Amino acid sequence: MNSPGNAGGGWRMPRHELAILAATVAVFVVTGWLDPNHTYFANWAESRDIILRNTALLGIIALGASVVIIAGGIDLSAGSMVAFSATTCALVLTLCAAPDDRRLVTVGPAGIAAAVGAALLSGLLVGTLHTWLITAIRLPPFIATLATLVGLRSFARAMCLFVTKERWGSESQQINVNTPFFAWLKEHNVWIMTGTFLVLAVVTWLILSRTVLGRHLYALGGNEQAARLSGIRTENVKWFAYCFGSLTAALAGIFLMADSSVAQPGTLARGYELNAIAAAVVGGCSLQGGVGTVPGTVLGALFLRLVIDAVSKLIKASADVYEGMIVGIIVALAVTFTQVGRRGQSGHSLFSGARGLAAIPTIAIFTALLATMAAGNVAALQGRTGLFGIGVGGATLLTLAVVRRLESRHAS
Amino acid sequence: MTPIVAFRGVGKQFPGVVALEGVSFELMPGECHAICGENGAGKSTLMKLLSGVLTDYEGEILVRGEPVRFRGTRDAEAAGIAIIHQELNLVEQLSAAANIFLGRERRTAVGLLDDAAMEREAATLLAELECPVDPRTPAGSLRVGDQQLLEIAKAVSLASDVLIMDEPTSALTDAEVARLDRVIVRLRGRGVTILYISHKMDEVFRLADRITVLRDGRVVTTVDRSRTTPREITGWMVGRDIASHDFHGSRTPGATVLELRGLTLPWPGHPRGYRLKNVSLELRAGEVLGVAGLMGAGRTELLETIFGAAEPTWSGEILLHGQAVRFAHPAEACAAGIAMVTEDRKRLGLFPDLDVAANVSLCSLNEAVRSGLLSRSREEALVAGPLRETGVKTPGPHAAITGLSGGNQQKCIIGRWLLVKPQILLLDDPTRGIDVGAKAELYTLIDRLCRDGLAVILTSSELPELLTLADRIIVLAEGRLTAEFPRAAATEQKIMEAATGATTHAPA
Repeated sequence: MNSPGNAGGGWRMPRHELAILAATVAVFVVTGWLDPNHTYFANWAESRDIILRNTALLGIIALGASVVIIAGGIDLSAGSMVAFSATTCALVLTLCAAPDDRRLVTVGPAGIAAAVGAALLSGLLVGTLHTWLITAIRLPPFIATLATLVGLRSFARAMCLFVTKERWGSESQQINVNTPFFAWLKEHNVWIMTGTFLVLAVVTWLILSRTVLGRHLYALGGNEQAARLSGIRTENVKWFAYCFGSLTAALAGIFLMADSSVAQPGTLARGYELNAIAAAVVGGCSLQGGVGTVPGTVLGALFLRLVIDAVSKLIKASADVYEGMIVGIIVALAVTFTQVGRRGQSGHSLFSGARGLAAIPTIAIFTALLATMAAGNVAALQGRTGLFGIGVGGATLLTLAVVRRLESRHAS
Repeated sequence: MTPIVAFRGVGKQFPGVVALEGVSFELMPGECHAICGENGAGKSTLMKLLSGVLTDYEGEILVRGEPVRFRGTRDAEAAGIAIIHQELNLVEQLSAAANIFLGRERRTAVGLLDDAAMEREAATLLAELECPVDPRTPAGSLRVGDQQLLEIAKAVSLASDVLIMDEPTSALTDAEVARLDRVIVRLRGRGVTILYISHKMDEVFRLADRITVLRDGRVVTTVDRSRTTPREITGWMVGRDIASHDFHGSRTPGATVLELRGLTLPWPGHPRGYRLKNVSLELRAGEVLGVAGLMGAGRTELLETIFGAAEPTWSGEILLHGQAVRFAHPAEACAAGIAMVTEDRKRLGLFPDLDVAANVSLCSLNEAVRSGLLSRSREEALVAGPLRETGVKTPGPHAAITGLSGGNQQKCIIGRWLLVKPQILLLDDPTRGIDVGAKAELYTLIDRLCRDGLAVILTSSELPELLTLADRIIVLAEGRLTAEFPRAAATEQKIMEAATGATTHAPA
């Protein structure tokens, strides 16, 4: 009742999931209406493909992140794992292709199977490494996966240079993948990725809410000591969690490689781990562990990608510039609302004291700058961006000042 | 005389629960006023209102005749009201002195921390409280009793007029309890009013001038200590007379199921060098073996070693049904038919995010599996038995476990272990922090399980409990087994002598 983590297996649609669903629908409708071209209503198919593809990619990694977070851990290495898996996949393809084939078009079905298998295996290896670092060396999960976040990408780059040199006689920072199978994957990426994502979501949901292992994951995350003293082999449960986390990232790596027709370990999927964790958190996972659901994470990923897409529609800016800001704001808001829901109205004031006084202009300045930049992308406001920004900033300042005043009056 | 604190029709509701209703009583300056009640009677909630932890309530609270409405603990402290929580609020990494002055650090002329002054003051305060610890010791490395005195020192340094103590003796040894008694007497000598929350009748009758009894969030009565008896108070607390417990006579122990020979558990880095030294014992089917000992005597370590939860560095022999065993993980002990209910329920037993059913079924989930998946209906059927058998009061199997009282939570955990059908049940202080009524029910349950052939090892910090339940009692002192009594020969006096006899007490 008080947490969506109650893994009873029955159908109790918790409040949190409903709230995200409502927010998703609201963002969709409002954007479709405000957007001058009404893209969502007029030309739905195009937006749909972008949103679905991005949601599936983010969601696959987020499912892995959720399992790790529910088990009370954290996996910071997902982005590097994506790059590592993509590189592994491409390198095995290189080895299976004809020696002088630098576009990898000559790989047969066995080679493709070997490459995909190797990429997935690399996920299991990294997951096992994480578990060993955490359970045997007793590194905190944050440190263990921070080490692999930094280390794996570099490892993948070194691997790339080494194999290309051995195979082709010249080092290459990247490998182009024009294998027909992966080209086919790219052509049908939306439906294949979305389908994979949904199947993976259902499997994860079954594991988490309907199996003994899933219950043990919640127990481990909720109270590790008690779980051990209840006879749960906590190390093995962690082994599953970290392998699952790395395996989903590895799967995403294969898709991302196919999608971009290139494996470029230096830049591929940088920062994906944080977006995945953000999706899980927006979906209701608690970083303290023991709380979270698959429907929540799926909706969290969808919501994040929809908002990113909506902003790019509204202010005609390229989505990736604003992506980080949007994710940041949504995470902060989502967790705020969850906490407000849990804490109830306990008389906690937002802007009391000197800290509150300093926070008001801080927020106003950020809002003003953001509004100015956003206005630059809106035709109707050309030439008046500064004025618009100052207006928005001033309005924020006033509003927050009124909130502060009301709070202090309410308190006394 | 104006009461120093007066409650007038105070009420407090939590979602779905009325915690307090129409509570009115008064505290007179300088008195020691005890609040008695079962767990869940509303004692802690009431204290949270008075100390400013909870700010939202009905009715009014008057301090020195003036209505007050605290917005936080700081307001309450400013009004001279300090609280020593059952769960202590110390920053374990900081020194004792730093904890006492946390938030009100003394500073030198240039604004730097004046550690020397704080340590000097802290030393004086602690000496007054008979707490011979170095103010520079990190709070986390102090014993629980000393940590508590640290909190009291903090309250004293705040010049508090009213000191609330929420079950202060729940983690103390008897020597520490005696010291606390002396501290209380000394504080009262200075005119401090003490509000003492407890359900231990001996303490209440030793210390209190007046007693207020709460039941189900209402005041039953406020009486002078001299005009009542412990039996009457417990009667008011539970709303019924408690049957006295004497189960003995008809319990007949069977074959030996567990034997320990020369069990020694090293303690690297500690001056003593061992947690347990050369402990040998025998446990028979159908008997309760009581383990007495002060805090730190090795009771928990003994059970953990048997259960495979301690560091696997022990030497000696553990024989289960005559076979030498060495469990590397609690899972192996479970598989061999041993179950353990841990001492610290919140930290080591409960899963706060799981519901009641999931908490109970956790160790026997495989029985709720149908074709590879957990079945909700099977799980409900599985837990229905233990929930009924242990008498858990819950709104339903899928209620939040955190919504239950301590006693009911403990019953859920015992139910969890009964489901695995153990032959040996290790109970580590199972009634700690549990109210009188639930305690009686647990005693009956343990007795019944024993009669069904279960072998039980029970540790307890309350000697009467051991004398009530155990067939035999062994005493640990600083890791050594110092005495063994059949129940008929055991008295509190003898047990305490054996528990403290080996102690050559060196101040820390």
